[in-house]
Amino acid sequence: MPSPLDLWDLPFMREALVELALLAVAGGVLGAWIVLRRLAFFSHAVGTATFPGLVTADATGISPTVAGLAVALAYAAGVGRAGRAGREPGEATALLLVAALAGGIVLASDVFESGGAVDRLLFGTLLGLESTDLLLSAAAAALAVVCTLLLGRAWTAVTFDPDGAPALGVPARRADLLLLALVAVAAVAAIPAVGALLVTAIYVLPAASALVIARTVPALIAWSLALAAGEGVVGLYLAYWLDLPPGPPIAVLGSAVYAAVALAAAARKPEAVRAGRPAAEAA
Amino acid sequence: MTGGPPSDEGRAAAGGPPGGAGRAAPGGPLSDEGRAAAGAQADEAARVTPGPAVQVEGLSAGYGGEPVLRDVNFVLDAGRSLCVLGPNGGGKTTLFRALLGELATQAGQVHVDGRPAYVAQTDRTRLDFPVTALDVALMGTLAHGRWWLPARRADREAAHAALDHVGLGAQAATRFGELSGGQRQRALLARAIVQNARVLLLDEPLAGVDPASAERIASLFDELRGEGRALLVSTHDVESARRFDLVLCLNRRQVAVGPPADVLDTATLQTTYGSEMIVLGDEAGRAITVHHHEH
Repeated sequence: MPSPLDLWDLPFMREALVELALLAVAGGVLGAWIVLRRLAFFSHAVGTATFPGLVTADATGISPTVAGLAVALAYAAGVGRAGRAGREPGEATALLLVAALAGGIVLASDVFESGGAVDRLLFGTLLGLESTDLLLSAAAAALAVVCTLLLGRAWTAVTFDPDGAPALGVPARRADLLLLALVAVAAVAAIPAVGALLVTAIYVLPAASALVIARTVPALIAWSLALAAGEGVVGLYLAYWLDLPPGPPIAVLGSAVYAAVALAAAARKPEAVRAGRPAAEAA
Repeated sequence: MTGGPPSDEGRAAAGGPPGGAGRAAPGGPLSDEGRAAAGAQADEAARVTPGPAVQVEGLSAGYGGEPVLRDVNFVLDAGRSLCVLGPNGGGKTTLFRALLGELATQAGQVHVDGRPAYVAQTDRTRLDFPVTALDVALMGTLAHGRWWLPARRADREAAHAALDHVGLGAQAATRFGELSGGQRQRALLARAIVQNARVLLLDEPLAGVDPASAERIASLFDELRGEGRALLVSTHDVESARRFDLVLCLNRRQVAVGPPADVLDTATLQTTYGSEMIVLGDEAGRAITVHHHEH
């Protein structure tokens, strides 16, 4: 069992640690809005949607960051349009996920013959994080914090009551689009470290656990932040120890924490309010 | 009054024809100036201001294609209440969305005094949402502008006062999802009070609420009217419609508008509800029941 201090002493591990700390801030803060706005599936889809773009960029020498951002923002704009038209983009999203994943694999193995890159793009890597990766993560973290400080009250009102909030005079539509775009940028930032398939490990799992615990939105953000940081650092250590990419251990850890928190909550409150609405309300 | 658009009777009953609706424009119910003025005057909203709070003239509205609601004409004065009665799909929500300015009018004009508050059906709100009753009331302060800044002490005081007003002072720290259906409705009414709106739109506020809570909410309506606010309340319940100053019957068009005594007769309700209605009672129409399919 290696010393936990290696995380700081080895330069490449230190870089990974800083990267995960930045992602924990972005993921913890944005994750709160993701679970409140029910964007969990969106955040997963936006990560996967970038995969063929990343494969192409990887093989052709285009900056993967630029390619990823372009695809992710285009996808967010599409979802925003569909939402405006009142359509639930469920089937379209499922279709896109399969097409993006399969297309990316085909591109990687048959067109560019870069099969080795697939694992790295899907599940993340400890090695070879570049300074642009760190910069993008820092930008995502900063944007998440600043936007939460400025828009937190509006986002709360809009996600709590989408029908009633526009009458409050907050720019509900624009605030919502900004959130979609921010989640798209943040998902791209997380891909180098945790991989396109596992961005939800950072952006959804900690916040979903926090939602079980928290009674207010600030508490939700605080818990989500703490869990994202804790799971990120411990997961990174596990990855180093077990010689894995960091994505999978962080995801497994996040799922285990969620299961434990949800079970504890269910045991404490069998008639959990979360379980459903009172029958009388269904009229 | 059954049949064609009874705009003349409706206006007479509602207090004078609409005039000087300078801020209204076809296709854009509320101009920016209108909204700005509403914000500036928000603090004075609770004052009794006589005159029309809502004017609707020849309104047709829909979602792009054929209008789903047409020929709506009514005037609602400040301090009066109007019950919107009609079957599912009859246009109640469409009317509210047009009054909110979320739906471009396809014909006619809509004028609303200030920015209205909207309380959607509470059974559509999320019960796992981490907000307290106080947080919900506090959302009303967003309407005063400066939504990008944290809530001030004055905002919190206003939210507490509104919760006291609706009888939820003791539940300020209770999670919204842990309140009863009637209490949730009152928390949303507190948000509307904090918002200082002069016109309140309430979508089915009494659906799924127990009788005691419904009584409490109904008397709250009377208080809000007394403060000079205009209330538009949609409901399924014909009996509760009798408590309102005016009743507006919608079935994809305006069937009737006027005081309950004039409007709530068997023939009008039959036109409004069609086959959904079962008449159990006598000629006085006291025991009219509207059957609603589960949906």
